[in-house]
Amino acid sequence: MRHPSEGILRRLVDEPAGVPDDDRAHVASCPACLRALEVARADAQLVGSALAAPMTDDLDSDAAWARLTATQARPAPAFRPMPGATRRRWTAAVRRPAVAAVGAVVVLTGAGVAAANEWLPIFQTEQVQTVEVASADLVQVPDLSAYGDLQITKAPEPEQVADAAAARERTGLAVPEVAELPEGVTGEPTYQAAGVVEATFTFSAEKAAQAAAAEGEELPPVPAGLDGSTLRIQAGPGVAAVWTQPTGVPTLVVARVGAPTVDSSGAEFTDVRDYLLSLPGLPEGLADQLESLSEDRGTLPLPVPAEMVTSSTADVDGAEATVLTSRNGLFAGVVWVEDGVMTGVAGTLSADELLSVARGLR
Amino acid sequence: MPFPGLRGAARPRTERGTGMSRARVDVRTDLEQVFRSHYARVVAVAARVLGSRDQAEDVAQEVFLSFGRSSVPADEAGGWLTVAATHTALNVLRSGRRRSTREEIAGDGPTVAPDVADLVVTREERSTVRAALGRLPHKQAAALVLRHSGLSYAEVATALDLSPSSVGTTVRRAESHLLEELNRHASPE
Repeated sequence: MRHPSEGILRRLVDEPAGVPDDDRAHVASCPACLRALEVARADAQLVGSALAAPMTDDLDSDAAWARLTATQARPAPAFRPMPGATRRRWTAAVRRPAVAAVGAVVVLTGAGVAAANEWLPIFQTEQVQTVEVASADLVQVPDLSAYGDLQITKAPEPEQVADAAAARERTGLAVPEVAELPEGVTGEPTYQAAGVVEATFTFSAEKAAQAAAAEGEELPPVPAGLDGSTLRIQAGPGVAAVWTQPTGVPTLVVARVGAPTVDSSGAEFTDVRDYLLSLPGLPEGLADQLESLSEDRGTLPLPVPAEMVTSSTADVDGAEATVLTSRNGLFAGVVWVEDGVMTGVAGTLSADELLSVARGLR
Repeated sequence: MPFPGLRGAARPRTERGTGMSRARVDVRTDLEQVFRSHYARVVAVAARVLGSRDQAEDVAQEVFLSFGRSSVPADEAGGWLTVAATHTALNVLRSGRRRSTREEIAGDGPTVAPDVADLVVTREERSTVRAALGRLPHKQAAALVLRHSGLSYAEVATALDLSPSSVGTTVRRAESHLLEELNRHASPE
């Protein structure tokens, strides 16, 4: 395969998800491209620093506004934006928060050396954005606020803790111990812990109608008894151990989280869920999260963006595990649920390496 | 520097009227609100180009005046203003208009490095880079500034009428040029 252009390498620095899979796969295995990528990254950083703006956070906007109103009477300035500058709808990026799935604990990293320093929680299904791994990613709930009243009744208060013992003390969950670290993973991990997150969602026909109207759609008839029904969604606690290369690139994450549960008052949970799923304009990622919620803890809450990740199954000590591999082959994850607890292993490693870590957990 | 509301452009968009086609004589009523919510951001974008706060505030005045006479929808203002600030500031940089001389005596003041961790770039290097920025082809410079102001590749492409695939190339070339100048360490203008 031809080497990707310098433009593609440059984009890989900023938006790995925007680069075609073939190119990413090539770069990951091509020493010349990896070197060129590192040069591009270093250049970008240097130019970024050189272009750092003077501080502007103590501006006097009152004075500036007064100046503007004083000059408004003058003739229009000559400036016109270039063609195209005004053509698009800037608003379309409307924040429909990309909320991670409940129990989003297995974070997959964006591509070893290639997309170094950036993490890609696969659960962020609305649109994959590269984000730093934050302990807040450990436990989250679906954002249903457009369709009713969503209240977080218990915050998970995620934090980094000193060691595995502290994580256990905080959560009651033992951090799984890795029997043998795969090649390339060295040093001591950092530990994250998060408590239980609990949210209640009260369905509101009125809000749902507004959300539908905003999409230019009409709300399907609301079944009797649904309006005002409440769901209680609970997940966590969660613990994770994260190994990081000296350069700051995370290589391996081992995590365990209380799998999410949901119960309802008023209508049956499945009725509420199915009705929500029938709503026009429901963001796809949210639909995936809803579909993956169930009342028992048997299902895996994993909305997987199929365009990025392939999934298969494998056996981990008797449990059926889902194996996720990024299409560019640069990162992978293995996750399974047992007795209401979800365990995940992920990193910039091959699926085989991760499976052997998973099978060796104590 | 994240740019809430503008990041992430994967969603298909519908095109709407340009807003500039119908010049409005009267001043729009939502101007103050738009001004208050976007002023600091516009100054920051212009300051990135000019390296000078006072000049950036001058540019912001021009940009908001243009906006006040446009019919760009208020909810599209953020993107429009960012692009307009970039073009206007680059024009100022190239024309060498120097309106705030006191600034040069006072110096640049403290700057915010995008990455706290690393690189120390001297003030001299910063002015070398800005001089070089003024010599780049306009589109290259604009792509570079928009990208470093947090716009996504798709957004830069739309703003500058580039194909999305050429944004990376354009930005990369601009960076290479700037760094060549930096390495040569030409004395600042």
